[in-house]
Amino acid sequence: PTEGSAIGYKVASVVEQMWDQEKQHLEKFNELIVDHRVRPTLLMPFWNVAGFVLGAGTALLGKEGAMACTVAVEESISQHYNNQIRMLMEEDPERHKELLAVLKKFRDEEMEHHDTGLAHDAEMAPAYSLLKNIIQAGCKAAIYISERI
Amino acid sequence: MAALWRCGLQRGLRIATALSCGGIRRGLRTSAYLRMVGVDQQPGQYHHTSQTYTAAQESSSSCHSEQHGEKAEGFESEEELRQQLLSAALEFVPHFGWSMEAIAEGAKVLDLSPAVTGMFSHGPGDLVLHFVCQCNKQLSGQLTEQHQQVQTGQQEAKKTDRFVKDAVEARLRMVIPYIDTWPQAMSILLLPQNITESLSSLMNIVDEVWYYAGDRSTDSNWYTKRAILAGIYNSTELVLLQDTSPGYEETWNFLKNRVNDAVNMAQSVKQVGSTGKALFQGFVGAAVTLKNLSGVAQNR
Repeated sequence: PTEGSAIGYKVASVVEQMWDQEKQHLEKFNELIVDHRVRPTLLMPFWNVAGFVLGAGTALLGKEGAMACTVAVEESISQHYNNQIRMLMEEDPERHKELLAVLKKFRDEEMEHHDTGLAHDAEMAPAYSLLKNIIQAGCKAAIYISERI
Repeated sequence: MAALWRCGLQRGLRIATALSCGGIRRGLRTSAYLRMVGVDQQPGQYHHTSQTYTAAQESSSSCHSEQHGEKAEGFESEEELRQQLLSAALEFVPHFGWSMEAIAEGAKVLDLSPAVTGMFSHGPGDLVLHFVCQCNKQLSGQLTEQHQQVQTGQQEAKKTDRFVKDAVEARLRMVIPYIDTWPQAMSILLLPQNITESLSSLMNIVDEVWYYAGDRSTDSNWYTKRAILAGIYNSTELVLLQDTSPGYEETWNFLKNRVNDAVNMAQSVKQVGSTGKALFQGFVGAAVTLKNLSGVAQNR
């Protein structure tokens, strides 16, 4: 029992660190939305709920499940960041310098989360590749829809 | 809601929305972004961040950047021609109404053949939309100026309800010179070929007013606030059309009451929310106490 709780505590603190960084990301993007006078996605309340359900659900599969979810999501999101960075670079790297710097920093942090997930036995999760593919398909769909609605 | 689709911004996750500057076709202004990157911007000028400002974009956009300057001998572009022609036509609207005749008269003033009216595919709709866009730009300019004055301390910041009321009043006052023919204009704006553009210009008004009123929400509040203000604006406009009081006093009172109602409603919603939370916590506490007292499911 004491070993288990020690491992649990360690994982919880790792997750909490990642959570803090994600909170910073969210705050930054909320600022950017206002600065650029952009319309927020209508589906935000829905994504809040869906995100919570996904996280809680995979956590029920154990520590490996939570890490697998992290790996899947971070991979999707890094791809998304890369697409955005590519688009901006193609358009006008000079004009978008600040934004590009922000995106690159965040993408690097997400990749770190991805690697952390792998280091914490994500691949040992039950039905890892199935889980990963489902989560990534969901993320892609969410990104696609949110870009339009 | 179709107008929101046509507004042309990349929606989405925070990243996608923040990158809309590359793909804006028309709609919500991003002059704040330009200010951020230090580009000089004349207040009241519609801003298209994309440098590739093509004619194709213009034809789908209801509001174009104005070419400032005097009436030139030759017109630099078709766009400038349209703008000057429509501006000239506005003078004849009180007499000819919102119609092709007014545009033809405007053409005569500019020494152009009346046949030039053929270039307006939406007919009188183009004239009304041009006027509406001009008014929106003017409103934008006024709000930006006020904002700057507050920033430099020359003016006191107004409270939200007063600010919103003043801004809507300012915008509606721009319609007063054309008020006799405004019902015709409104019905033209409701025609199917014009409705997307007129909705997007309404969206523009409410977004500008809320932005300068200090709204910084990024969740469903963004939508609620704008929808409510759009409703207030439309109803006040209708009241304005039927107002016969001196100086349109009744309309401005109506507006003030509607804005106060909306603000009060928002406050009571918040209060209900926090009361609800407090009540809920009370129940949970009571349930836990009961559970402990009865000795059910104790962890030993």
